[in-house]
Amino acid sequence: MAKLSYEQFEEMLIERHGKSVHKKLKAATIGIAGLGGLGSNVAVSLARIGVGKLIIADFDVVEPSNLNRQQYFVEQLGTSKVAALTENLKRINPYIKIDGCPVKLTPDNIQKTFSGCRIIAECFDKAQQKQMLVETVLNTMNDVIIVAVSGLGGYGRSNEINTRKISDRLILIGDSNSGIEAGFSLMAPRVAIAAGHQANAIVELIIES
Amino acid sequence: MAVLKINGEDKIFENSVPSTLKNLLELLKVDQTTVVAEVNGQIIPRGNFQNTVLRDGHKIELIRFVGGG
Repeated sequence: MAKLSYEQFEEMLIERHGKSVHKKLKAATIGIAGLGGLGSNVAVSLARIGVGKLIIADFDVVEPSNLNRQQYFVEQLGTSKVAALTENLKRINPYIKIDGCPVKLTPDNIQKTFSGCRIIAECFDKAQQKQMLVETVLNTMNDVIIVAVSGLGGYGRSNEINTRKISDRLILIGDSNSGIEAGFSLMAPRVAIAAGHQANAIVELIIES
Repeated sequence: MAVLKINGEDKIFENSVPSTLKNLLELLKVDQTTVVAEVNGQIIPRGNFQNTVLRDGHKIELIRFVGGG
């Protein structure tokens, strides 16, 4: 199997991104709440560009219905998403630090789970869970920015997914409309567009502050 | 006449504004379990929607979530 030493990996990232950008990405700790279509894709993007540490949280296991859009493999069916994603991320970037939390996030454990993160990605599936996380972070974690998503179902309409800065601490991505409640199905391409917006907003926050 | 600024746009009420945030959300037919609400820059926890009194001129931001991830 091909190997890339820590030094070689660092060198590759510095060559790609420049030293000052690399330093900022490497120093960052990002929280990812939910490891489905959004969370698994956001994590892969951030791992590839050399973000130093991810705190990933999900209580679920990989199921067949996840494979149409989430970054898992058939042989990982039945494995916890935290374990499966940790394995996949380490294959991409062996030197990333990952703190895996196989827990159900509630208002009582969100603060503790994501302590040390300046930015959290909201990657849940259910609207009520999204509401709970965003409300909890905005109310109880004063120096944390949350990047949340609402509306990514279906196909086409790529340009209707946008990134909006709602306040200094809330960035909202999506078309605000295409929910699973309204009968939209979730498919890899449009989910990945939203996850791409999300990861890209996070990179901008890391580099420009 | 009374006005609430909701998501940046003026919403005009003939007599007075809805008395609480909960009443406003009912009027707008917004599902309270999927909305994050801010009144005059302050995030209002969902459990406080019914105690949050609204007055003419208040600024309200409603962030509505739909499912999918």
